[in-house]
Amino acid sequence: MIDAYLIPAVNGLAYGLLLFTVAAGLTLIFGVADVLNLAHGTVYVAGGYVAVSVSDGTWAGLGLGVLAGAAAGLVSGAVLWAALTPLSGRGHLTQALLTFGIALAGGALLEKAFGADELRPVLPAALDGSVDLAGHRFPTYRLLFIAVAAVLAVAGWLVITRTRVGARVRAVVDDRDMVAALGVDPRVVLAAVLAVGGALAGVAGALGAPILGPGPSTAPQTLLLSLIVVVVGGLGSIGGAFLAAIAVGQVQSLGVVLLPSVSPYLLFAAMAVALLVRGWRGRGVTA
Amino acid sequence: MIPTRLRTPLGIAAAVVAVAALLLLPTVADNYTLITVSRVAGLGLLAASTALMTGVAGLPTLGQIAPYAVGAYTAAHLAHLALPGLVQLLGAAAAAAVFSLATGAAVVQTRGVICLMVTLAIGELTAITAGQWTSLTGGTDGMPRVPATPALPGGENLVKVPDVYTYTVVAALAVLAVTMLVLRSPAGTLIRGCRDNEARMRASGHRVSLTLLWTFTGAGAIAGAGGALLVSSQRTVSPSNVGFEVAALVLLAVVIGGAASIPGALAGVAAVVAVRDTIAPKLPGEAPLLLGVLFIAAVYLLPGGLSGVAARLGLHNGEAGA
Amino acid sequence: MRTRVRTLVAVTTAALVGVTATACTGGDEGGSGDVTIGFVASLSGTYQTVGEDMRDGFQLYLDTHGGKFGGRTVDLRVADEGDGPATATPAAERLVQQDEVDALAGIVGGGSYAAIAALAQENELPLVGANGRPDLPDNSWLWHTSYISDEPGIAIAPYVKDNVDGPVYAIGPDYQGGHDELRGFVDTYTQLGGVLANPDGETKWTPFPQTTDFLPYLNEIAMTGAKAVYCFYAGKAAVDFVKQYAQSDAADIPLYGAFLTEGAVLAAQGDAAEGIRNVLNYSPDLDNPANRTFVAEWSAKFPRQPTTFAMASYDAAAVLDRAIATIPEDQEVTSAAINDAISGLGVIDSPRGTWQFNPTTHSPIQRWYLRQVAKDGEMLSNMLIEDLATVGN
Repeated sequence: MIDAYLIPAVNGLAYGLLLFTVAAGLTLIFGVADVLNLAHGTVYVAGGYVAVSVSDGTWAGLGLGVLAGAAAGLVSGAVLWAALTPLSGRGHLTQALLTFGIALAGGALLEKAFGADELRPVLPAALDGSVDLAGHRFPTYRLLFIAVAAVLAVAGWLVITRTRVGARVRAVVDDRDMVAALGVDPRVVLAAVLAVGGALAGVAGALGAPILGPGPSTAPQTLLLSLIVVVVGGLGSIGGAFLAAIAVGQVQSLGVVLLPSVSPYLLFAAMAVALLVRGWRGRGVTA
Repeated sequence: MIPTRLRTPLGIAAAVVAVAALLLLPTVADNYTLITVSRVAGLGLLAASTALMTGVAGLPTLGQIAPYAVGAYTAAHLAHLALPGLVQLLGAAAAAAVFSLATGAAVVQTRGVICLMVTLAIGELTAITAGQWTSLTGGTDGMPRVPATPALPGGENLVKVPDVYTYTVVAALAVLAVTMLVLRSPAGTLIRGCRDNEARMRASGHRVSLTLLWTFTGAGAIAGAGGALLVSSQRTVSPSNVGFEVAALVLLAVVIGGAASIPGALAGVAAVVAVRDTIAPKLPGEAPLLLGVLFIAAVYLLPGGLSGVAARLGLHNGEAGA
Repeated sequence: MRTRVRTLVAVTTAALVGVTATACTGGDEGGSGDVTIGFVASLSGTYQTVGEDMRDGFQLYLDTHGGKFGGRTVDLRVADEGDGPATATPAAERLVQQDEVDALAGIVGGGSYAAIAALAQENELPLVGANGRPDLPDNSWLWHTSYISDEPGIAIAPYVKDNVDGPVYAIGPDYQGGHDELRGFVDTYTQLGGVLANPDGETKWTPFPQTTDFLPYLNEIAMTGAKAVYCFYAGKAAVDFVKQYAQSDAADIPLYGAFLTEGAVLAAQGDAAEGIRNVLNYSPDLDNPANRTFVAEWSAKFPRQPTTFAMASYDAAAVLDRAIATIPEDQEVTSAAINDAISGLGVIDSPRGTWQFNPTTHSPIQRWYLRQVAKDGEMLSNMLIEDLATVGN
């Protein structure tokens, strides 16, 4: 019986790690800079598009794709920074509207540049098949992705818990007034998190392209899933986002096998419950 | 500073002119214009409902699309039973109010971004249900052929465009007039008090959550009435009418208009629909780009309305805790 | 406060006037041609490539026929259907109310079709649909050049029953069009004595459009011991399904489908699509004079292969052309005259072979083809394997 759930579980892990890579940037931007970035899904897609266009079936092309994805993410972060800086202090709703507008317009422009089809990179032949996993066939690339994303997650965890920058990030997430106390220019903080968050989304877009490829509907889908991850994980919490992403991955993968009739509702229901539990706890407090 | 009050002689005069212009429009405009404006009527009530929650009560919401959906599907079923428009309108408002009362118990416990996301989740869950519950909603294709019905019992079926226009516009204005009257009453003062200084309201013995719950229920009824007018004007309803895109569009309209103002919300809807239904069709395929640019332009070009809203919502960094 | 109120009411009025002004000045009613045709298709959103194929097919026919239908100059108005009825309805209303078109054509989605069909019936305008089509009871003004959604499954079910030795697993997307497609196959297949491999004997539905990850479903399919899989997917879901199928436990189970590998998706599916058998009413390698002309004209203009979407819209233009040609020259081309003329059309010579309208469903009685994806030189292509049944009676 366990056998029937092995592949969905491993697959859910790959999916969850992908979501984590995207959502980590989103929650970082929210937690540190207090910006609700609704263009985050579009950054993911931009990373995917450039990675697909440099992919040529070689390992070098794959590596170049990841670098290009990171670069696209950095550029997107810079654009967002330039757009958001004049609005400092104007509140979440304004930021949400602006970034939503950028997502719509940016998505339309990307579609003009790369076409309306959902694209897939050309992978090196060794990755474009399947491997044997406990007697089952499993896509080779997804297995590699699990390894790479796990390395990324561990590296991120080390940075957050073991470095001075990480300590500051945690301090700011816990208490936003810390930004002022640290004597750091908030504009620099915003630039830094948008750069890091953007690069993470760009890399996720490049690495995730064979799994969740760039296309017109990918951006809203990615954004909605990562919003759920960020909310369920606790706004601003990277560790929480990790656990939530893994859980969402399993809901998407194991859930459809175990609970097919309710799986469409599971994610949003989980989001509502997580919010309400937290809402009741922090009753009357402006979040 | 509450622009929902139309007490000044000049304000009343301006409102009378606007209403008169709306009612006289059929004598000068072509059918397409009338259809477009009558679609604004349904969306306008949705926007008014959103403005009531977001601006007046201070709970930013992406989820009024949910009672709007409940109202639309209820009205479509009532139309299939050959009941007249007025019954559809009241039935839709009642069903949406019950729905809002049930979901509101949770929503009114939240504030700010959390409220935005809880309502987003409720809206999405409703849209998913609309697509899944085929026996009730017609599934993803929706209910494409809602029969024409008279506005009042015994009247003529609303088929001709000017008739449809007059019914939807008059019905929308009636709902709005009731809303404005309530907001001018002591109840309105109480709602704004909850927004402006929740702690003081609590301290002086007011049951803030209860007030917000009744407001949420009322706002749901308004949105539900909007859903009924959607069905009256386009005679179809499907999940794409009640999805996230429409919710976002209406929130944009509300913010453009200055979230605390119901006339402003209506102006915002008119502007957004003008872009979507009259400019975008001339450039097939460019609608997402146009709307995106509109969002961006609204943020930079209408800062007064926006920051005013943000301050009221307690989302304003500079005046946190307001 | 007073100025604030005044400003807001002024803004309302101004916005209203703005709507009125743009709406009124937008249309030069009647158009410049002798006959005005409105064409609706998705030029943005999920089905953009399908919509563009359809628009290009219709335009191609018009361009290669001197911009005229039946000797009358055509004023073509194109509108964007977007992702569904919410955007399609205002787009079609504009064509009807403002451009005052004489006939409507196109439409990608079944939901949009149902909504626009109501509009066409009410305004007594002929609507020549060219893609998705739900079964509608009242169709005096509705015509169709592609097929009714359950027909591909009906056409391929006997072949699957005869050629697959054992139970077949049925899976499809959870929306109305998907339900119709799968119902056609499952009903016919089980009537012929076939048994579904699905454990509960019911088709498996995948949430649409959210599902991008089919591996858990594919793993489950492999567990059932199915001897073949029948599915219907189009667009993005077709790419994901086919790519993941080839890398899953199900890879060795023969895959049958409706659409699945048609159009732009085939390039994205790549080698994973090789060998897939699918049913369609068209194949670009059909050997008949009309198809040779169509493929040559298409290839001269576009780098991509012609699809059934382009072909059905090309035929929609042909239907309008032939119908309008039967209206005497001294007679005005009205919507009613076009509609009457369409009902009088006999056999239509088309790139798919000859077909004619079924007098009750107003949809084609046509032959279906079994195709298999194979390498055609460097390029993957859907190659004709054999003729299947004629369906639509």
